[in-house]
Amino acid sequence: MELVSCLDLSSTQSATVAANRPLWQDVLAQAVTGEMIAVLNYSSLAEICTDPEEVADALEHAEGERGHAAAFAAEGAKLGIDVPNDVGAKYWKRLRAAFLHQIEARDFIGCLIIQEVMLESFAVASYKRIGKVAPGSMGTTFALIAVEEEDHIEHAMLILRAERALDARRFDEKVYALHLEVMTTLAQMLARDDKDCGCELCHGGCVKPQLPKVGLTSSELRGASLQHYLKTLDALGLPGEMTLAWVAQLPV
Amino acid sequence: MPTDFALIGHQESWRAAADVLALLRGPDHPPIPDEEVPEILPWIPPRAVCRIEVRSVLGSTVHGLYIDSFIPPDRLGPAFLRENLGRVREAAAYASREGAKIVSLGGFSSILIEGNIDRLFEHAGAIFTTGNTLTVAFIVQGVEEMCALQGRDLRSATLLIVGATGDVGSGVARCLAQRVKRVLLHARNPERLNRLEAELRLVGVTADVAPDLAHLPARADLVICAASLASPSLLLDGIATGAIVCDAGYPKNLSSGSRGARVFSGGLGQVTAGMTFEPDIRSILYNHPAPHVLHGCLLEGIALALEGRFEAFSQGRGGITPQRVQEIEAIAARHGIHLAPVTLRRTATVN
Repeated sequence: MELVSCLDLSSTQSATVAANRPLWQDVLAQAVTGEMIAVLNYSSLAEICTDPEEVADALEHAEGERGHAAAFAAEGAKLGIDVPNDVGAKYWKRLRAAFLHQIEARDFIGCLIIQEVMLESFAVASYKRIGKVAPGSMGTTFALIAVEEEDHIEHAMLILRAERALDARRFDEKVYALHLEVMTTLAQMLARDDKDCGCELCHGGCVKPQLPKVGLTSSELRGASLQHYLKTLDALGLPGEMTLAWVAQLPV
Repeated sequence: MPTDFALIGHQESWRAAADVLALLRGPDHPPIPDEEVPEILPWIPPRAVCRIEVRSVLGSTVHGLYIDSFIPPDRLGPAFLRENLGRVREAAAYASREGAKIVSLGGFSSILIEGNIDRLFEHAGAIFTTGNTLTVAFIVQGVEEMCALQGRDLRSATLLIVGATGDVGSGVARCLAQRVKRVLLHARNPERLNRLEAELRLVGVTADVAPDLAHLPARADLVICAASLASPSLLLDGIATGAIVCDAGYPKNLSSGSRGARVFSGGLGQVTAGMTFEPDIRSILYNHPAPHVLHGCLLEGIALALEGRFEAFSQGRGGITPQRVQEIEAIAARHGIHLAPVTLRRTATVN
C-alpha cells in the first residue's frame, strides 16, 4: 500500500514495481551517479572559467545537476530504496578522469564537448527512454529531467558552434580525440555483453539483462544515446560521414 | 569541392548493412556480430556514407554523395510507412544541407516519395527526382536486349507487367504495350488498373487486367516485375515455361521458379567513363559482374548533373511517357551512361 500512495500506482502496478525493485535500484544508482559526476564536472569547470558569467553558469548547472540527483534519490526513497552512488565506480571514474584532463589543460571547450555533447547525449536519450517505462512519478521525473538537460545544452551549443567557426579542422580533431576516450567508455558501459560486469554500481548481477522486464533493453539505450550524439554533432556542423565512421568503430 | 548531386538509398539486406558497417569500422576493428547489426542500424540517422566522383565520356566530372536513409531491410512494409517517410525526409534535408544541386531517390525511397515528392520541397536549394524515367529506359532496353539474346521476338510476346500502375510500371506499359502481341496488367488497385487500361485503349492497345496473380488470364512469356512481390512463387508458377522475367522491383527477390524462368535484373545502367566511391561500397551496393553499374534511378540524377540540367525530371506518379524516356536516354548516352550488360541470374536469390 505504501507504493500505491507514493508513486500513484494501482495495486497491480504496485506489485510489479515491488518485484522489480532491485532493477530500479540499479537504474537509479546509475542516474544519481551520473548526476553527481555532472555536479563535480560543472564545479571543476567553474574553477577554470575567467568570465564571471561563465562561472555563474557553471555553478548554476552544478546546482541543477545536484537537484536532479536529489530528485532521483527521492524516487528511490518512494520505493523504499536507499539509492547508492559512487563516482569512483569503474566507468564513471574514467569519464570523470577524462574531464579532469581537460580541466588540467584549462581547456574550456574540451570540457563543454565532454559534458554537454557526450555525457548529456547519453543522459537525455537514456532518461527519455526510461521516462516512458518507469512507473508513476519516477517516469515523470526521468522525463522532466531529460527536458531540463536538453534545455541547458543550447547555450553550450552556441559557444561550440562559434568555436568551430574559427577553425573547423582543429575543432573536429579535438572532438575526435575526446570521442575516443569518452564515447568508448560509454559504449563499453552500454555494450550488451559486459563480460566482467564491472560497472561496480549494480548491487547484484549486471542490470542490463534484466531491463526487458520493464520494457527496456541495453541496446535500445545504446542506440538512442548514439543517435542523440550523432544529431548533436550534426547540429555542430561536423560532417556526417565522418561521425558515422567514428560511431561505427565504437565497441559493441 | 561542390556537391553536384546526392543519391539517397538504403541497404537491401542485413548482410549488405553488416558489410557497410564492417567497411566503416575498418580493418583494425572486428566486424560487428551479425546479430547486433539489427540493433544498431535502425538508430543511425540518415547521413552520407561515401563520396562519389563520376566521369563523363565528354571529359567533365561531377561530385556527389551517397546518403543512406538507414531504412532497416525488414521494415519496408506499410506498417513502417510513416517512419520510413521520416527517414527519407531527413535524408533529403541532409542532401540539402550539403548543398546538393540535384538529388536522386533510389530504391524504396523513390517508391515512398513518388506520390509525396512535393513534401520534400521545403528543403530549398535542392532539386529532387525519383529517377524513374531512366529506370524505365533501362528496363525497356534490357527487355529488348534479353529478347534478342534469347532469340525471342518481342512482337509475338505476351507481356505481363506486375506493379503496372506504379510510376515505373505505367511508364514501361506506355513504352512497350504497342510493341507486343498481348498485354496483361497486374496491380493491387483495381481503379488505377482500369484507368491505365483505358489510357492504353486510346492508343489502340487492348490490355487484359489481372488484379489477382493466382488467376492470370493467359500465360505470359515475357514478364516485367516493376514491384517487389511478397510471394514470388505465385508469379513464377503462373507464367509460361522458360519465360523471360525482368526483375525490376525493389528489393529484387525473384528466382527462376519451378517453370525455369529466365530471370535478369532490370533497370541497371553502366557509367562507361567510370566512377569512384570513397570509401568504396560499390561491391556492397551492386552485386553485378560488370564494373561501374548503378540503378537507373540513381543514374538519372548523375546524368542530369553531368548535363548541367538541374531539374526535377521525374516526379509524381504516372507521368512517364515514351518521349520523356527518349529524352533522358539521350542525355545519359551523351555522357556514356548506357544499359548495364544483361545477364541471366544463375542462382536463386530470394531474399
